[in-house]
This record gives sequence, structure tokens and C-alpha cells, in this order.
Amino acid sequence: MRRDVRLPVALPNSHESDLALAQAVVARDRKAAAEFVQIHSDALYRYVRSRLQPRFEFVEDIVQEVFLTAWKSLPRYRGEAPLRSWLLGIARHKVEDHYRERLRIIPLPDEAEDTLPLVGPDIDAALDQARAQQAAGKILTALPEIYRLVLLWRYWEHRSAEEMAERTGKTPKAIERLLARARQEFRALWLAPSHE
Amino acid sequence: MNEDLWLEQLAETIPLEESVLAPSCLKSRVYSALILAAESEGPLLPLTETKQAGRGLCVFEHLVQILPSPDAVQSFQYCKVCHARVLGERVENAPIYWPCCPYSEFQNR
Repeated sequence: MRRDVRLPVALPNSHESDLALAQAVVARDRKAAAEFVQIHSDALYRYVRSRLQPRFEFVEDIVQEVFLTAWKSLPRYRGEAPLRSWLLGIARHKVEDHYRERLRIIPLPDEAEDTLPLVGPDIDAALDQARAQQAAGKILTALPEIYRLVLLWRYWEHRSAEEMAERTGKTPKAIERLLARARQEFRALWLAPSHE
Repeated sequence: MNEDLWLEQLAETIPLEESVLAPSCLKSRVYSALILAAESEGPLLPLTETKQAGRGLCVFEHLVQILPSPDAVQSFQYCKVCHARVLGERVENAPIYWPCCPYSEFQNR
């Protein structure tokens, strides 16, 4: 290993093989870098793609950004978590940056009277897991982008309306109203007979 | 159950991730970008050390590695001038079959 390289340092009970790979990448071993990409790219791609659907045109740039950011941060990786989880954490931040950016650009829909929230439908009674996954994907794809983004951010990334408001510079009330309308649209499509 | 809770439960049970693979072109471009970034920080690990670490070399790298050559030659990224990189970055499932070539190994075959 070259002396000018600051290698990651192991913590007790660390993920040794992940740490060894990280150390080799930081030491600028080209084949370790290839292994790093080969092992983790499918999972990162799947995750980012699922969170950006159907705007797939942004997926590849974000995946590349995740790897480059990870590469810069690898000297700080201590093996306390699996490398995959660590990378997915970076990917999550990138996805949230994308949501924030899009929510800043897309104008909020006109204010309207909220007729909901009402009672949500019963998931179990409606569909099995595979069909539910397909249906949810289809509905999210069919929604206007601003509704899709807030639903993904709130429910699949588990952020509160306050956190989303803080990160977008909008008021919590505006985000709550947006979420209410997004839920309303989602629910209407979920209950529509053609949503499968 | 209110709508908020209903959607929380729905998201809990539905992961959204489909079983897709990253395109080979993307893997190739990511790898090239990482190597470019690594080179901007300093020379790559000499091929001899890569081999000593148990990682395979392609036929071209192997030729360079067995030559009596200084570190600068050993650290050069030969993929920069290799057709496999060009094909890998531009063609999905490119016909590259060199053993121990990253661009070949990125292909989803």
C-alpha cells in the first residue's frame, strides 16, 4: 500500500471483507475499484430506480454520483456497517436531494377544498403482495410528479412533513396539504377497478 | 384506519424495488469515472501490487507487469487506450470476452 494514502481503519467487530475492499479501493487498486462497482451497482441501481420511477432519465447520473461520493468518503468507512448499507445511505441522500430539487422547481397545485383524509382501504383484503407491488408502482407512475415525489419521500423514505418542509423551504402546512391531496389521488386510483 | 396510516402500512409491505440489473454501460462508465478520480489523487497501485493482492490482470496488464518497468509504467491505466473500455461504455452487453477485464465482467450475461 502506498504511504500517501489515508486508509480506512477497522473498528472492533467490523465487516472485514467490506473493509478490506474499501482499503484496497482507497489504495487506488484498479481491480478493487472494479470489484466495488461490480458487487454494489445492481443494488444501488435498483434502489435509485425504484425511488425515481418513472423518471428513469435521472437514474444513471444519480448512481454515478453515489459511487463518486462514496469513493471520496471511503477513507472514513470503518466497517461498522455492511458496505452495501453504507452505500445505500449515500444513495438515499442523493435521492432526497433529487426530491428537494424537483419540489423546488415544480409549482404547487392550486389550493382546493380538502374533502379528505378519509378512511384508507384495506390492503390485505384487496391484493396479494406481488399484485400490490405492481399496482402501487403503476399508480405512482400515473400520478403527477409532485404527488409521486411527496408520497415516496414521506412513506417510502419515512420522512415527516416537517423534515420535508425544512429541506424544501416550504411551510409544513403546504407540505401537509400537498400530502393530503397526493394521498387522495393515490387512494382514488387504488380503489379504481382498472388499477391492476 | 386513516389514510396516513394506511399508506405507511402499504409502503412497509411494498418495497417497490424490481429485480433489474444495472446496465453494463452504466457500470463501465462508473468504473471509468472512479479510476479517473483515483488518478487525480495520485498514481494507481502498480500492477505488481495488484497481482500480489490476489487480483487478476488482463492479458495486456500481465504483459506490462512481467516487464522490468518503473512504477510509472506499472501505474498507468491501460484501459484508457483499450477498445474494451470504449465498447463497454457505449454498447450494452458488448462482445468483450477478455479474462480479468473489468469491462468484460460488467456485462450482464
